[in-house]
Amino acid sequence: MKKFIIFFFVPFFLIGCSNEQIVKVSNNAADGEKREEIENLIRDTKEVYTGTAILAGDELLVAIQVNPWLGYKEQKVEKKLQKEIKEKYPDLHVLVSSDYKMHWESQKLLNEKDSKKLKDEVKKLKDLAKEET
Amino acid sequence: MDPQEYQQLEQQITPPTPYVKNVLKAFLVGGLICTIGQAIMYLYIIFFDFTDKTAGNATTATMVFIAAVLTGLGIYRKLGAFAGAGSAVPVTGFSNAVVSAAIEGRTEGMVLGVGGNIFKLAGSVILFGVGSAFFVALIKLILVTAGVVKW
Repeated sequence: MKKFIIFFFVPFFLIGCSNEQIVKVSNNAADGEKREEIENLIRDTKEVYTGTAILAGDELLVAIQVNPWLGYKEQKVEKKLQKEIKEKYPDLHVLVSSDYKMHWESQKLLNEKDSKKLKDEVKKLKDLAKEET
Repeated sequence: MDPQEYQQLEQQITPPTPYVKNVLKAFLVGGLICTIGQAIMYLYIIFFDFTDKTAGNATTATMVFIAAVLTGLGIYRKLGAFAGAGSAVPVTGFSNAVVSAAIEGRTEGMVLGVGGNIFKLAGSVILFGVGSAFFVALIKLILVTAGVVKW
């Protein structure tokens, strides 16, 4: 029984140990400084373990994944980051989302070169995030 | 034999209930059902235009459908006998309660048999579910009106 417990639970604890943050910002963003600043803003949010920012013109989609044991804070983290980015860049249409769909789709958009297609996709995702039914 | 003697005898003969074993079985099977549900949810999110918010309803419907089919085939009964609460507590248990009651009443005709019996077990879930949802919504409405919380 003891061996059984060790066999099943040690990997979980080991996986839990890796607390490295992965933050990526889309390559398409022309302004390097802006990219870095957005990346730092996401990095400063300690609750986030994966963050992806897609910048397409004046549209910004930030997909974050909050640590599972901090799931109850998810909405608060979203709002806080949204406010921070909005304050820094009032001209950008920002959406910060902790939705898995946004995370999944933004990973695919990271290497998208066509800026028009990128903008359309970001707009589509933002509409999807508003969907309630 | 007086009632006390009978009770003693009964307690001697009855095999002890394996609580730990039952709890473990329920935990594992219930967890397995929930893992399948989570996998279906991810399928909807990844391959279709569903978000975390909207995928829940579709996942529940799929799980209910799968459990209904399994009940019809008689597989869910075996699972229920093995796992107990592990198979009854998730939403699949609700589906099982509806479908098995409908199958049971089939011989009495469509209206009085199936129609009359289909919610025999699940009816209380619907009644108290709707009732408690109404009261929770009412409390929230009062709190929002009073300005304590936001929607």
